[in-house]
Amino acid sequence: MSMPKFLLRRTLQGIFVIWGVVTVLFVLRAVSPGDPATLMLGEGANQELIQQVRAEEGLNDPIFVQYADYITDLVTGDLGYSWRSNREVEAMVIERIPATLELSIAATIVAISIAVPMGVISATRREQLSDYGATLFSLLGISTPNFWLGLMLILVLGVWVGIFPTGRRAVGFGEALMTLVGTGSPGELLTWLEYIALPALTLGTYFTALITRLTRSGMIDELGKPYVKATQAKGLPLVLTRYKHVLRNTMIPIITVLGLQMGTLMGGAVITETVFNWPGLGQRFVDALGIRDWPLMQGIILFVAISFVVINIVVDALYTYLDPQVSVE
Amino acid sequence: MISDRVKSNLQYAFWESFLPKLGMILLVTIVLMAVFAPLIATHDPTRTGHFNEDGAQYPPLGFEYTSEIATGGEIVEITVESTNEHILGTNKIGQDVFSRFVYGARVSLLVGIFGVVLALIIGVPFGLIAGYYGGHIDDGLMRMADIMLAFPSLVLALALIGVFGQQPIRVPDPIVKAGLAEGMPETIPIPGAVIIVVALVTWVWFARVARGEALSLRNAEYVKAARSFGTSNRTILFKHVLPNSLTPIIVLATIQIAVIILTEASLAYLGFSGTTLSWGFEIKQGQSVLRTRPWVAMVPGIGIVLSVISVNLLGDWFRDALDPNIEGGERGG
Amino acid sequence: MQDWRSVKRRKVLKATLGTSATMGLAALAGCTGDDDGDGTEDSDDTGDDGTGDSDDTGDDGTGDSDDTGDDNMSDLDEITITLSQFPDTQDPLDHITGDYFDVFDHIYEPLFDFEPGEGIFSRVVTDWEAQGDGTTHLTIPDDVSFHNGDTLTAEDIAWTINRTVDPDMGVASPIGAFGLGSIQGAEAVDETTVSVEYSAAPGLAEFEFGNYARAMNRQWAIDNFDAENEAIAGSSPDVFNGTGPYEVVDFTSGEEIVLEAFDDYWGEEPPFDRVTFNADKQSSGRAASLEAGETDLTINILPEDVATINNASGVEVRQVTSFRTVFCPMKNTVEPYDSQEFRQAINYAVDNEAIVQNVLSGFGEPVGQPVAPGINGYAPDIEPYEQDVGMAESLVSESGYGGVEITLTAPQGRYLNDANVAQTAADMIDQLENVSCEANIVEFPVVSDENSFGLDPDDIVHPFFMIGWGTITGDADYGTQGFFTNPDGNNTPVFRDDELEQAILDSQQMQDPEERTQQLQQVMQLAHEKAPWLYLHVQESIYGVNEQIQWEPREDETVYIWDMSA
Repeated sequence: MSMPKFLLRRTLQGIFVIWGVVTVLFVLRAVSPGDPATLMLGEGANQELIQQVRAEEGLNDPIFVQYADYITDLVTGDLGYSWRSNREVEAMVIERIPATLELSIAATIVAISIAVPMGVISATRREQLSDYGATLFSLLGISTPNFWLGLMLILVLGVWVGIFPTGRRAVGFGEALMTLVGTGSPGELLTWLEYIALPALTLGTYFTALITRLTRSGMIDELGKPYVKATQAKGLPLVLTRYKHVLRNTMIPIITVLGLQMGTLMGGAVITETVFNWPGLGQRFVDALGIRDWPLMQGIILFVAISFVVINIVVDALYTYLDPQVSVE
Repeated sequence: MISDRVKSNLQYAFWESFLPKLGMILLVTIVLMAVFAPLIATHDPTRTGHFNEDGAQYPPLGFEYTSEIATGGEIVEITVESTNEHILGTNKIGQDVFSRFVYGARVSLLVGIFGVVLALIIGVPFGLIAGYYGGHIDDGLMRMADIMLAFPSLVLALALIGVFGQQPIRVPDPIVKAGLAEGMPETIPIPGAVIIVVALVTWVWFARVARGEALSLRNAEYVKAARSFGTSNRTILFKHVLPNSLTPIIVLATIQIAVIILTEASLAYLGFSGTTLSWGFEIKQGQSVLRTRPWVAMVPGIGIVLSVISVNLLGDWFRDALDPNIEGGERGG
Repeated sequence: MQDWRSVKRRKVLKATLGTSATMGLAALAGCTGDDDGDGTEDSDDTGDDGTGDSDDTGDDGTGDSDDTGDDNMSDLDEITITLSQFPDTQDPLDHITGDYFDVFDHIYEPLFDFEPGEGIFSRVVTDWEAQGDGTTHLTIPDDVSFHNGDTLTAEDIAWTINRTVDPDMGVASPIGAFGLGSIQGAEAVDETTVSVEYSAAPGLAEFEFGNYARAMNRQWAIDNFDAENEAIAGSSPDVFNGTGPYEVVDFTSGEEIVLEAFDDYWGEEPPFDRVTFNADKQSSGRAASLEAGETDLTINILPEDVATINNASGVEVRQVTSFRTVFCPMKNTVEPYDSQEFRQAINYAVDNEAIVQNVLSGFGEPVGQPVAPGINGYAPDIEPYEQDVGMAESLVSESGYGGVEITLTAPQGRYLNDANVAQTAADMIDQLENVSCEANIVEFPVVSDENSFGLDPDDIVHPFFMIGWGTITGDADYGTQGFFTNPDGNNTPVFRDDELEQAILDSQQMQDPEERTQQLQQVMQLAHEKAPWLYLHVQESIYGVNEQIQWEPREDETVYIWDMSA
C-alpha cells in the first residue's frame, strides 16, 4: 500500500474512532445522574427557569434528536459553552494546552535522556551491578503512583533539601521566552526550569522506567541476532554496531509503545497537575469533573482523543521510516 | 489448561531467580495482612480522636515534631512526642496510621482482584468470539477497542465514576463476626463502583489478547478435527480454544492487577474512591500536612509501592517463564 | 452562599456615623484631610490598632503615606495576593464566592461601604433615603467613570440591580437569590437617582443592597456581551469594566489576573500600583509561595501551615475570629431528621470543643446557635451542646430511630480542615450504640447544591451535610432567614418549622432595634432547642501576610486592598 493511501485509510479509521468517543461521551452524559439544566444554572435556580432552560437547550426533545443536534454541533466545530463560566469551551481548552504540552514534552525529554543510556548500559553489562541497579530502578518506577512520587519529591527536594520551589509556578514557558527575546534576560527561563523540574520528573518517571525496560530487552534481543555477529565478523567497530543498528532497531517497538501510552501520559498529567497545581488541561478536567461541567469535560476528552489518534498515525508513519523493511500495512 | 512444560518452566524460573521469590513473599505478606487485618491492626482504623493532651496528633515511634496551637488568642509552639500506643503515629483526625495501613491493603487487593476478574469476564469471551468467528464481529470488536484506547483510562474512569456514583457496598467482616477480633469495624467497605469502572477501562486489553489467541487457534489442527466431528462452536471455544489461550491471559491479568491497584489509588487520591479506608485517600489527607507531619502521606504510599512491586514481580516471573507476546495495559497512576 | 462577604468598611466614617448616612461623596473626599485627626482613633475596637492613621483606611495613600515613617515600603508598589479559588467566571454577578469577591470588588467596587455590626456608609452612593413606600432613593455623583471612560449613570445601577435579582435576565445570579432576597427591582428616577424597591423593612433591605449593590456599565455589557441574555465571558482584560480603584491589565484564565490603579478613579488613589491575584487550592502551596516571596498575602491558611510561615522571614501570620459558622443542616422532611429528639441527640453526640481543640488546633470557637458572637441577635446565654453520649443514646431511643444508619456529606478544602472535622463528627456519632454514621467527602459544589435544593424529599440527596456560613451583614437575620423561612416561595429553606419561621418573620417587621435584637435572640433560643443543625464552631480565619503590608483581617473575611498600606 502506498503512503498516501495508508494515511487516508488511517485518517478514516481515526474519524471513526473520534465518532465513537463522541458517542460514548453522549451516552455517559445522558445516563449520568443530575439534571443538566439544574447543573447549568447552579445555585438558587427556580423551577420555572429550569424548565425554560430545558426547553431552550432541547433537553425535552427525544434522545435521538438530541444526539443528532449534538453531532451537528460538533461537526460544525461548536463545542458549546461551559455550564459554569459560560465561556466557549474551545477557548478554555486551547488556553490550557501550552502548560500541559510543556509538561508532557519535558517529561518525555527527561524519560528518554535517562532511560535510553540506562537501558543500553543495562543490556550490554548484563548481570552486573549497573544492570541490577537499572532493573531495580525501573521496577520502582513502574510501581510508584505518580501522585505519591510527586509529594515525596516535594518533601525531599523541595522542603528538606530545598533546591526546588514547591508553590504554584511563577511563570509559563511562553512568557519566559518572551522575556528572553525581549530583554535578553534568561532569568525567567531559569525560574521556569526550576518550577517544571519536579513535575517533569514526576510525570516522566513511569516512562523512564518503561523505556529502560524496553530498551534493555530490545537491545538484548537485537544483540543476539545473526546480523550483529555478522557485522562484528566484518570488523565493524562494536560501538557503531551497538548504537547505530541495534539501537535503531530497538527504537521501533519503543516508539509504538510510546504512542499507545499517550493515554497514560494524559492520565499522569491529570494527577501531576493536581499535585503541583500546574495550570494545564488535566487540572481543568478535574475542576470540571468536580462541578460536573459536561461541555468542558467533553471538550477536553475530545481534544485528548484527537491527539491520541493523530499521534498514533504519526507513529505508524515513523515506523515505516525507521524500519524500511516494514512496508505500510 | 496449564501444561506440564509450563509448570516446569515456572518452577525453574522461580527457584533460579531471586526476584520472583521476593515478589511472592511480599504478596503473601500483603494478602495475609489484608485477610487478617482485624487481628493485626492495633486500633479501629476508623476511630478518630487519638491525640495527646495538647490535642496534637502523634508522630511515629522515635520521632517528635513541633506544632502550633491557638490558646486564648495566642499561638504557641509545642513539642509533640511519640507514644508506644501508636507505632506509626496518628493522622490529622487522630486515627491510628498503622491500623489504616493494614486495612488499606484490603481495598487495594479487593479492587485489584475483583476488577481483573470482572474485566476477564467481559473481555475474554468477547475476544474469543471475535477471534474465532472473525468477520464483522471481529471488525466491530477491533474498532471498539480502538475507541476505548483513545480515552486515557484514568480520565475515562473519572467520567464513569460520575455516572455510577461512589457509594461502597458494605459486607460483614467474617473475622469480627466470628468474634475473633474486638473493637474493629464490623463491615468491610467494597468500592463496587470503582471495581466496575476499572473493569470497564481494562477489559479491552483482555479482549485483544483473547482475540489474538483465538485467531491463531482457529485453524489449529485439533480445532479443525473437533469441527469435523461436528462439535458445536461453543464447545470448541470453551473446551479447546479457551484453555489454550490461558497462558497469555494469566500473564496479562497479573500485570493488570498492578495497573488497577494504581488506578484505584489515583481515583482515591482525587477523591473518587467511595471509601476512606484506602491508601490513596490517606495520601490525599496527608498532603495538606506534608511539610510538618510527613508520615501521614508516606506510610500509605509505601503500602501501594510494595503491593504493586510484588504483583509486578510475579508478572515478570510469569512472562519470563511463559514468554507470551502481549502488549501491556495502560497505567492509571 | 458559603462565602457571604462583600464590601468594605471605612473606619473614618465611624466617627461621622452620628451625622447620618447622608454624608456625601464630597464630605467623604474632604474627609481624607481630617480623618487622621478625628476618625480612626475611635475604631480600634475592631482590632485594627497598630499604626493608627495609616493603617487600614487606605485613604492616606494619596500623598501622606510617605511620611508615616515606614522604612521599607518603597519596594512595595506591586503586590501579589494568592487566593484558594481562582474565579471561574468573568461575570461579577455570576457567583457568590468570597474568593471571587476579593478580586471583583476591586474592579466592580461596592456602592456602599459596609462595616459589620455598624451598618452601611457612603461610597459611590453619596446619599440614600427611604421613601416610606417600600422604596429607597439612592443618589450618586455625576463624575464617576468606568474603566472604559464612560460615565456612571443611575441607569447603570438600576440595570445592574435588576440583572442581579431577575433570574431571567443575563444570569441567574446567586447574589440575587441569596444576597438580595428582599429586593424586587430598581429604576432610574433621573441621571443621578436610583429608586430601589423591596419587600422587607427598610433596615433589612439596606443591609442587603448595602452589601451587594454593584455597578456595571449597561451599554457596554449589552453591546459587547449580550449581557441581558447571558453571562459575560471571555479571556481578555476587556471583559472587565467597573468603576473600582483598579482596572484589569492582564488576565490569564484560571491562573492570574493583574490589576493596575485606575487613573481616573473618583476616590483616593489605592495603596499599590499593581496587584496580581492568583490561586492555589492547597494551603501548604500558598504558604510555600509566601515563604518563597512569590506572594504577599494569602488566605485560608491551615493551622498546620502556621509554622511554615512563622519560620520564614519577612512574613507573618495574622488571624481573626470570623463571622463564619460551620454547621451541618439536617433536612427535616427526611427520616430520621424529622425527629427533634434525634436531631438533639446528634448535637449531644458530638464534642465540638474537642473538634476545635484537636482538629482545628484551637483555631475556632464552639457554638450552639446559628450565628457567631458579635453578630446582632447572638444570644450569649446559649451554651454549645455539651457532649453527653448517654443522653444522646436515650434521645435516639425516644425518637424511635434506634439502629439507623446515616451519612454526613462534607466538602474538602473549603473550610478550615472541613473534611477532617466532618470525619471526626461522623465518628463521634458512630460511637453511639444505636446509630451508625459515616462521612462522605465530596467536592464543594455538591453540598452547595444540596443547600439550595430545598426540602422536597425527591430532590434531597444528602439530607445531612456540612456547610459554612459567614453572616457578613453582622445581623442574625442574614444567618437564619435563608435557612428557615420561605416567605414568597423563592427561597429554598433547608429546614421548616412554623414557630421558628414565624419568629424570624416577626423580627423582620420590627422597627425598634432593641426589640428586634431581643426577638432575634429568641430566634436563637428556638434554633438551639429545635436543633435544625448540628452546631459546630465559628472558625478562625488565618492569613499569611508580608510584614511590610499593614492590614488587619476582617471578621467578614473580605480582603480589600484599600484597607492596606505599605
